[in-house]
Amino acid sequence: MNGSRQAPVLALGALFVVVPLVLYLSGSGYAFRVATTIGVFCILTVSANFITGTTGLLSLGHAAFYGIGAYAAALAATSFGWPFWITLPFAGLVTSVIGILLALPTMRLVSIHFAVATLGLGEIIHVTLLNWVDFTRGPMGIPAIPGIAIPGLFKASDVGNYFAVAVIGAIAVFAIHRLTHSYYGNALRALREDDQCAETMGLDIVRLKIEVFAVSCFFAGVAGALWSHTTGYISPNDFRFNESILILAMIVVGGLGSIPGAIVGATLLLALPEVLRPIGDYRMIVVGSVMFLSILFLPRGIFGEVSALDLMRRQFGAAWRRDGRVGWR
Amino acid sequence: MFDIFFFQQLVNGVAIGLVYALMAIGFTLIFGVLNVVNFAHGEVYMIGAYAGLLAITAFAPPLFVVVLLALAAGALTGFGLERIAFRPFRRFRDEASLKSKAMREATLLSSLAVSIIAREAVEIIMGSNMQPIPQQYLLLQPVQIGALTFASGQFLIFGVSVVSLAVLQWLLNRTRIGLSIRAVANNPIGAMYVGINTNRTIIATFVIGSMLGAVAGILVGLYQGTIFPGMGFTPGVKAFVAMVMGGLNSIVGAVACAMILGVSEALATNFIAQGWADLIAYSFLVITLVFFPTGLFGAARERI
Repeated sequence: MNGSRQAPVLALGALFVVVPLVLYLSGSGYAFRVATTIGVFCILTVSANFITGTTGLLSLGHAAFYGIGAYAAALAATSFGWPFWITLPFAGLVTSVIGILLALPTMRLVSIHFAVATLGLGEIIHVTLLNWVDFTRGPMGIPAIPGIAIPGLFKASDVGNYFAVAVIGAIAVFAIHRLTHSYYGNALRALREDDQCAETMGLDIVRLKIEVFAVSCFFAGVAGALWSHTTGYISPNDFRFNESILILAMIVVGGLGSIPGAIVGATLLLALPEVLRPIGDYRMIVVGSVMFLSILFLPRGIFGEVSALDLMRRQFGAAWRRDGRVGWR
Repeated sequence: MFDIFFFQQLVNGVAIGLVYALMAIGFTLIFGVLNVVNFAHGEVYMIGAYAGLLAITAFAPPLFVVVLLALAAGALTGFGLERIAFRPFRRFRDEASLKSKAMREATLLSSLAVSIIAREAVEIIMGSNMQPIPQQYLLLQPVQIGALTFASGQFLIFGVSVVSLAVLQWLLNRTRIGLSIRAVANNPIGAMYVGINTNRTIIATFVIGSMLGAVAGILVGLYQGTIFPGMGFTPGVKAFVAMVMGGLNSIVGAVACAMILGVSEALATNFIAQGWADLIAYSFLVITLVFFPTGLFGAARERI
């Protein structure tokens, strides 16, 4: 049982000590900004993975919900002057409510029809953000969003942003981890494998789908809020269909249904363009090639669901029964 | 309301609708045969337009040669696309894996990866900014009929689209390859049992669908006057919407819905701003999915 406590400590240690130290020694605020972006996208991919990987509902509109969160936080912060610890949960709740309202009519659709419906919803949200100029300032975007700061404690800075994203990211990943690795998560996997069979077994699949959608949208909204606070400027182009596809690519490259896979995928696809900056124009081609090759040669992803579940069982004993019997705690 | 401007917009809408229809047919054919969405279809459209532009700048051929070259480029692109992005993922031949979720997601993303690579490659070779079409090829000469003014490009779009649709119907219903495409779309395993070469049929489907997409690209390029590497995205999504509204497998449905989309978008600009007009397509999509999940023209299915 001793070994089972090491992995969480190692992960948190890497997140809060090793990575900041390395970034600090590399000596530029830019490295911190890249790491912050990766952190925001980790929350986003983990939430997208919850709905697309674990529950099997292919969502092609995730970036739009991320956008709702970003706009909710940005408007609340600039118009009402709310501090970030209010705008973050506020953005999450707004996104969740809008997500449920929009998604309710599509809940009876399955497979490709659900995917297409989320694509349509995502584009509707994008067009609304782009054209509702009175409310969202349209294509001009929202500038001068206050950074993450607590008066008297710390000021808005690249390092502060990193730690804020790291803390909230760790909480988000832990929450989704507990939802995924539990009887509840098993119900979701049953729904993914065969929803008719799951319904016959007594699962209320429409309720499950709505709950999953709400949770996923909540964390997408939180990620959006973090994005608007850390970058200080948002515009509708950050939340286009292309962005949804990028999120999907990240979770597929990492491994559908696997939380560590989602994090690995986000890190890989965001760090690659930065690492490849010297080769300039060719970097997006390399990113596309990495995507293609990983789908071709690693169909289960870099860190597939089976190995992720195995890792959880051995290293993160928390979600399992201590007495070694089968089942979740 | 029914003034000159209204009819003008109606004609513009039909022209745009025909372009969507040409693209939607490519989506529908490929979805019918493989049950997967080809996300690289917008890039085929873009490559068709660039092939036309290259031909024009290189040796200024007559217009129908430009169209033929775009068709050839589309055929080549379709062939290459199938080889690179789709063939490697058809590892097994049983029906379960041909229509499985894993295969669908893998090919969806591989076509997406290939489309990123293609778009970026074109951007590096040709530059990412708008490329103007040379003046003498622009199809914007006004043609006066009664009180209405048409652009000559609209006639070309009508002509080429109608001819393409007629040839496609002939191909699908009167030729051997059309018969095998319909057979594979209906039941891939059954088609294999009766001796149809499924791989060759799938390649033929990609070639035909991509030729239509490429010709749509060069027509829009000549009509609107500029082409750029990201031009395939919007018509690609609209054509996709048309396919879904039409019921995923129905070519007639896809064409009809593409026309409905094009006309209603053009007419909507009478009443609302251009930006909000984009909302029409997506609202149609969601409304169709909610109230007619099988599409407006789709056959009844076991379950959606």
